[in-house]
Amino acid sequence: MTLAAPSTTHAVQSQSKDNALTVDNVYKQFGANDAPVIAVDHMSFDVRQGEFVTVIGPSGCGKSTLFSIIGGLMGDYQGQVRVGNEPINGPHPAVGMVFQEESTFPWRNVIENVAFPLELNGIGKAERHERAQHFINMVGLAGFEKRLPSELSGGMRQRVSIARTLVSQPKILLMDEPFAALDEQTRLLLGDKITQIQQELNQTTLLITHNLTEAVQLSDRIVVMTYRPGRVKRIIDIDLPRPRTSDVVSSAAFGKYVAEIWGDLREEASRGMADSESHAVKDAARG
Amino acid sequence: MAKSLYIGPYGRWLPIAFGAMTVLGAFVLLEILLRVGVINRYIVPLPSEVLLSLPRIIVEEKVLARCRETAFEMLISSAAVIAIGVPIGVALYRYKALRNALEDWFAALAAAPIVLAFPLFLVMFGRSATTIIVMSVVSGVAPIILKTTEGLVATRPVLLNVGKSLKMTQSQMFWKILLPSALPLIFTGIRLGWTFVLISVVGTEFLINLGGLGQLINDLAERYDMPGTYAAIGFVILVSILFFISLERVEQWLGRRT
Amino acid sequence: MSSTITSWGDKNPARLRTTNLIRIGFAIVLLIGWEAISRSGIFLRDVVPSLGPIALAIFKLVQNPVFYANLQATAFEIAMALGIGSALGIACGIIIGSRPFLSAAFEPYIYYMAPTPRIIFFPVMIMWFGVGVASKIALGAMSCFFVVALATADGMRQIDRVLIRVGRSFRATSLQMAFKIYLPAMRIPVLNGIRLGFGTAVVTALLAETKLSNQGLGFMVMQTYSRFDMPSLYGLLIIIFIIAGLGNAVLGRFANTAHHS
Repeated sequence: MTLAAPSTTHAVQSQSKDNALTVDNVYKQFGANDAPVIAVDHMSFDVRQGEFVTVIGPSGCGKSTLFSIIGGLMGDYQGQVRVGNEPINGPHPAVGMVFQEESTFPWRNVIENVAFPLELNGIGKAERHERAQHFINMVGLAGFEKRLPSELSGGMRQRVSIARTLVSQPKILLMDEPFAALDEQTRLLLGDKITQIQQELNQTTLLITHNLTEAVQLSDRIVVMTYRPGRVKRIIDIDLPRPRTSDVVSSAAFGKYVAEIWGDLREEASRGMADSESHAVKDAARG
Repeated sequence: MAKSLYIGPYGRWLPIAFGAMTVLGAFVLLEILLRVGVINRYIVPLPSEVLLSLPRIIVEEKVLARCRETAFEMLISSAAVIAIGVPIGVALYRYKALRNALEDWFAALAAAPIVLAFPLFLVMFGRSATTIIVMSVVSGVAPIILKTTEGLVATRPVLLNVGKSLKMTQSQMFWKILLPSALPLIFTGIRLGWTFVLISVVGTEFLINLGGLGQLINDLAERYDMPGTYAAIGFVILVSILFFISLERVEQWLGRRT
Repeated sequence: MSSTITSWGDKNPARLRTTNLIRIGFAIVLLIGWEAISRSGIFLRDVVPSLGPIALAIFKLVQNPVFYANLQATAFEIAMALGIGSALGIACGIIIGSRPFLSAAFEPYIYYMAPTPRIIFFPVMIMWFGVGVASKIALGAMSCFFVVALATADGMRQIDRVLIRVGRSFRATSLQMAFKIYLPAMRIPVLNGIRLGFGTAVVTALLAETKLSNQGLGFMVMQTYSRFDMPSLYGLLIIIFIIAGLGNAVLGRFANTAHHS
């Protein structure tokens, strides 16, 4: 766990050697040049080796755009995303993505789903099943190897997706609201699982979410984003002890962090809400 | 099999124009290849010859009267398969025991190439339009029965609960909830059923040399009149496309009303 | 035409009994009605033969090597037609389905060509491919192509976008994308398209055989008819219907197992 950075900053992070991922002055706009929608406005932050960083922001602030850019699924932006010192250009083998939507392959059972990235790399069946099994056990799905996704709960399916990404042994685990579709209790328990795995593998992780509890429960640092254009509003160190479990949500320190971040977010979220309401009114007027 | 409603960055007409130009271009290319001699003119007639043969087959072969005859057989059969198929489909939905017992049988009927039995229908009903119509109805009715039942079964339970909470009568439930919700699948069934009706009508005309356009194609092919044969094939395609366009119109109209 | 409800798996004995009773009742009514018409003399004698001779004819037919030779010829035609038509249909469907512009340009033609009766192209196919099996294969493949192309194009548009992003995030190659993501993701619409194609291909190929050929089940139907051997004609048709039904059921089973996975 790192405590090097000052607790709040707008400045570009200094380029240190142990940066696993650097987001450097990234800018992305949609639409025509005369009426652009700026999704990501010159954002900069970094993720250090073994660190768990969360980007939090209100709905529609450009989080998912940022996710796609870092994952290499979206091009045509300004600035740079670097893995170590290497700028990314398309999906990078060091970055493993977990998507917000249900993304297991419904026609593959659990072990075939998890082994998918190994299959793409032409690894033999025996070896890929052995390696997949390791991560299936890790996410707590031992015994469900032969089940199809349709026979699993939403939380289990999301764990299959996470295991599928982990099996490719990415340097950086990049997750976009992986628990968005789950209920609050499942979300807390899965959070424990994630913490445990992340500590066990010393897995560098970047999580993107709008959920405050989740962000504080899991992170070493939180990057707060503004609503349109999406900028870095503040970066906060979460100085809660590790090993950490979901019990932490009842602690006073936890509440303080949540309140502090909500203070930052409330203004952004209400701007977002007003914006979408005015769009709805305009749409209604247009018929 | 819904058509795409794509209106993209190219607008609505550019893709349509592109498609039409490509088809036209293919005919022009064919004409050139034939004239140069890359393709044998005895096997494929010149597209221009096919066009020029139109007045001849319209006047000499009475193609419009034949279109009318074929279209009449299609129309009677197409109406009959709906009139018979939809009520049977509703009955299968209404009486679950009946459905359990007979749905598989209707699936088997749908898969059977009934039209192959045309010799039997011939000896029973003689060489007449009646034979063609009876056979076409038997060929096309099963998919409509199956899809009607499937559509009614697939009605979302919450909609039925809404009906019950409003204390709707059985017949209100059927006309206001069940039928509108099953309509898209019923039309899928009708499209399938009509496909087999058309094969049956035109195929039988062609095979037993009786009646409208199918017979004309047979005659012209036997006389080795290739441009005429192609033109007559064009007329069959025209008639069947008109049938399916009107089916689509009816579906859109009903869709707006319910 | 998937029958979602089938009595085979029914655990409720009372309901199963009702189902079987209705089935047996219907079968008895059909058979008695048939026999009654046969004996009443409404139709020409021999046109509606008695059940006994038909059963005997079926029994003789399944022992006749000529029947199997013809069955083999037809099965070969249908299999080739299905293979060629489906492969071309899937390829075209993927290309059209992945490009909205091409879809808007060409899909209307495919949509309206799909249900037109293919048998009318038979004289043309004879000119192109001769009177042998090739012209029947061509007709069957034409029947299959349009339906499968439409189903595939539609299936392409319905693929869950996130599955495509998963493939890209793991840096799958184009071939890997096609075989490990696109095709499995749209297996249900494609299989259903192939099943529809099978139905029209069977009808079209058999009709073509009755018109002009020297082998195949359609040819055998015409031979039997020309001898006016009505019991054998009925027997042959019943067997053909059963085989077509089985083929359809097998393809349907494929689509259904795909459904559950």
